[in-house]
Amino acid sequence: MSKTNNFVFWCLYVIAWIIFVGLSIEAGGLIVNFFFSLYKPEFVQNLYQKLDLTEMYKASKLAFFGIYSFILIISILKACLLYIIIRLMHTMNLSKPYNTFVARQISKICYYTISIGILSYIAVQFTKNLMHHGFVPNDLDRFWADSEACIFMGAVIYIIGTIFKKGVDIQNENDLTI
Amino acid sequence: MPIIVNLDVMMAKRKMSLNELSEKVGLTLSNLSILKTGKAKAVRFSTLELICEVLDCQPGDILEYIDEKKKPL
Repeated sequence: MSKTNNFVFWCLYVIAWIIFVGLSIEAGGLIVNFFFSLYKPEFVQNLYQKLDLTEMYKASKLAFFGIYSFILIISILKACLLYIIIRLMHTMNLSKPYNTFVARQISKICYYTISIGILSYIAVQFTKNLMHHGFVPNDLDRFWADSEACIFMGAVIYIIGTIFKKGVDIQNENDLTI
Repeated sequence: MPIIVNLDVMMAKRKMSLNELSEKVGLTLSNLSILKTGKAKAVRFSTLELICEVLDCQPGDILEYIDEKKKPL
């Protein structure tokens, strides 16, 4: 592997770590927000992102828990996705990348990305539906990922993963050819 | 797999150890072990040629086909 590629790989590794820490803080902050909105709603204004859905909670518990479930699940999935990427980059041997571990991690990345995309799409539709029913959720768009882009990216990763799996099979066969 | 590798039988007939065969054929011990234990997926003609030359035998002496359906229980 060339020095430039190695440098780019390490840069991406550092960036992945930074994003992972950011997403973990976001997920943690949202979980804290959730519990404060349930038990001490007046304190939410002082918390991370100031996500105050207490009005919605008073109006409909179903809508409140629905929206919060989507927000929490999507943010946790994003953090998990970055964790898988970091684990992959940490364990991967660049001089011999074709092994079952890498293939499995790529498949996991694909499934997580598609899940985030599908959940974001459902969440957007759910929010639109709530608006029709008179709920006015405050700026929630920032919590949803770009669903179309995520699903498309997941599909691309799936294709790459399938090719990679075939590569692993060929590598194994080659290793066992005497 | 229905293909059986009888390398150990031929080695015993020629009274040759795995180390000796490894030195003469130029294969690593781990590769010869993979071949001997039947874990190998394929054998190169060049490898087979070398083994036959060193053990003074035919490929049929090393490789054997056993039909698993007809195999007695």
